[in-house]
Amino acid sequence: MLIETLAHDVRPVPRRAVERRMAGALATGGLVAVAIIPMTIGLRDDLAAALAGGTFWMKLIYTLALALGGTAAAIGLARPDAPRPRGLWLLSVPVLLMAGLSAHELLATPATEWMALVKGESWDRCALNILLLALPIFVAGLWAFRRFAPTRLRLTGAMAGLAAGGLSATLYGLHCPEASATFVLLWYSLGIAVATLGGWLTGPRLLRW
Amino acid sequence: MQASEDELQRMMVGGLDGDAAAHRALLRALVPLLRRFFARRLRDADGEVDDLVQETLMAIHTRRGTYDRTRPFAPWAFAVARHKMIDHFRRHRQHLSIDGLDDILVTEGFEAASGAAMDVDHLLATIPDKQAQAIRDTRVEGLSIVEAAERRGMSESDVKVSVHRGLRALAARLRGDL
Repeated sequence: MLIETLAHDVRPVPRRAVERRMAGALATGGLVAVAIIPMTIGLRDDLAAALAGGTFWMKLIYTLALALGGTAAAIGLARPDAPRPRGLWLLSVPVLLMAGLSAHELLATPATEWMALVKGESWDRCALNILLLALPIFVAGLWAFRRFAPTRLRLTGAMAGLAAGGLSATLYGLHCPEASATFVLLWYSLGIAVATLGGWLTGPRLLRW
Repeated sequence: MQASEDELQRMMVGGLDGDAAAHRALLRALVPLLRRFFARRLRDADGEVDDLVQETLMAIHTRRGTYDRTRPFAPWAFAVARHKMIDHFRRHRQHLSIDGLDDILVTEGFEAASGAAMDVDHLLATIPDKQAQAIRDTRVEGLSIVEAAERRGMSESDVKVSVHRGLRALAARLRGDL
């Protein structure tokens, strides 16, 4: 009988099980992505020097803020009795701040140099690389959700995609030497946005339970 | 004997702590509650009520980590049941009609008694307040359009439009478009 079968498998569940499981999944997916970088696109040559500079951290704070926002939202949505999510507008704050930095940067630069800020050296592959690196993280997130009970599958998928894209973009900073805020605003955001969109599109199918 | 919210929650927390007997007792106690939850809302063609009870028990078991011990248990359990029912609608009816929503909006009896009168509130919280209020007046409390319009100081057509838009939004929400 079903109940007897289920009652044979009663492993203790720790408090904050959702948070722990999500953190474990993101860490696992993130480690896979970190391992992929040196094997494929490589770490940036000046990584040690970059860690001492400001732009590396500017990029990291931006992408990590989006990753954490997406993670927090996805954790909230993982419970079936979750209240209607509020505060999603907060996700626009890092984007607006980055837009401010970009505007400041453009104003301080002659218009003839703007295209250099926009395109950098790698504008044509940045978003795609972020998207690809987000895949193992997103898959790990899906694994976590096998024990969760989301009821808004599209929104949950989008937030899981945002978390994966944001973390992926953060790790991509280990490879990408671009230093302009305009570049980050455009191409990093694009990669993260496409990851979010991918989660939004696939959520109802992949998160179904 | 119907288990109370306190008893259910105690059994649930026991199960979360690894007590198999408490977990078994919880699942047993949930069977009649879930059966009534689904029987109230479905016509039970082809034993779908029993299928849904089983699916819900399995989901409650595998996804019990999403229960927060500091919150009431019944709303969590019925949220799982409601999700299973909506998923059932999605699978078996391509289009969840606006008419079918009235079944889902019905709430009374044991759920209220067990502290889970969350069904309607929870659903209505997902649409704009004005539409939710119009639906609550006309579909849950059973006021006529005229009475609802008087109570809220709105025009009758405004009430009708709000009800219709609200139901449409709910149907979209239940289909998973949101």
